[in-house]
Amino acid sequence: MALFEGKRFVPEEAEIPTSSMADIAFLLIIFFILTTTFAREKGIKFVLPEQKQQEVKLKKNKLIIVAINDQGKVFINDQPTTFEDLHDQIKKYLEENNKRIVYIKTHEDAAYDYMIKAFDIAKQVYQEMKLPPKVALGVIKRRAE
Amino acid sequence: MALKIKKKRQMKVMIPTASMADIAFLLLIFFMVTTVFKKDKGLRIELPTAATTERLVKQRGLAAVWVNKYGKITVDDNFVRPKQIVPIMRRKIAEEPGLIVLIKSDKNAKYGVIEQIMDALKEAQAYRVVFVTKKE
Repeated sequence: MALFEGKRFVPEEAEIPTSSMADIAFLLIIFFILTTTFAREKGIKFVLPEQKQQEVKLKKNKLIIVAINDQGKVFINDQPTTFEDLHDQIKKYLEENNKRIVYIKTHEDAAYDYMIKAFDIAKQVYQEMKLPPKVALGVIKRRAE
Repeated sequence: MALKIKKKRQMKVMIPTASMADIAFLLLIFFMVTTVFKKDKGLRIELPTAATTERLVKQRGLAAVWVNKYGKITVDDNFVRPKQIVPIMRRKIAEEPGLIVLIKSDKNAKYGVIEQIMDALKEAQAYRVVFVTKKE
């Protein structure tokens, strides 16, 4: 500071205004919290059978066989049905014997979506009846020509 | 009686806000460091929907197998054949015994492919599987 004659020297204080710093930082936090989309994975859990267990033969009346053919048609215990009716029919079979297992057999050429649909319906029934879901998956091979 | 009058001294009420910025930045840095980014880009797929979709609690120890509608399979962004999944998953499960394999498949993929993947996973002894779906 230049000193003028006769004027008193006034030292100027150098200051950085930091009072708004907290506001800025919190604003950033809030911005990031709001814009974060959690990529939490969602899906249907399934535990594959161990290969040894596969050999266990189940009695036919313990199974509810849901078969899906290559055209996406559904059969329950060899009776043709639809995805709309599947829920009630699985429920009916389970009410007769709640130890039954839903066995979903899907044709190799059928869309994956059909299997998920059937699995979803079976799981819903188990949940409604407050039973642990017991679902097995199987495949129908293409017929050798 | 002499009255002693106490001078009321005005107290300045202050909240110390100087460290507020430090706290906020610390929080920012904490969240930045703990954020997990997705590793693989995967394939362009349309997931099937299911009403019984559950949220996975685990965020680590997951491996994804992607299947597109033509039946092409990728693991860690590499195209693989179903048989090649076995050694990959074997290695992964050795590192992480509680590994969960996510099957991210297009809804129009053929079931045969999924079946082959499940066979491979069985062989690799990776028994815990999740069929990734969208909530209906």
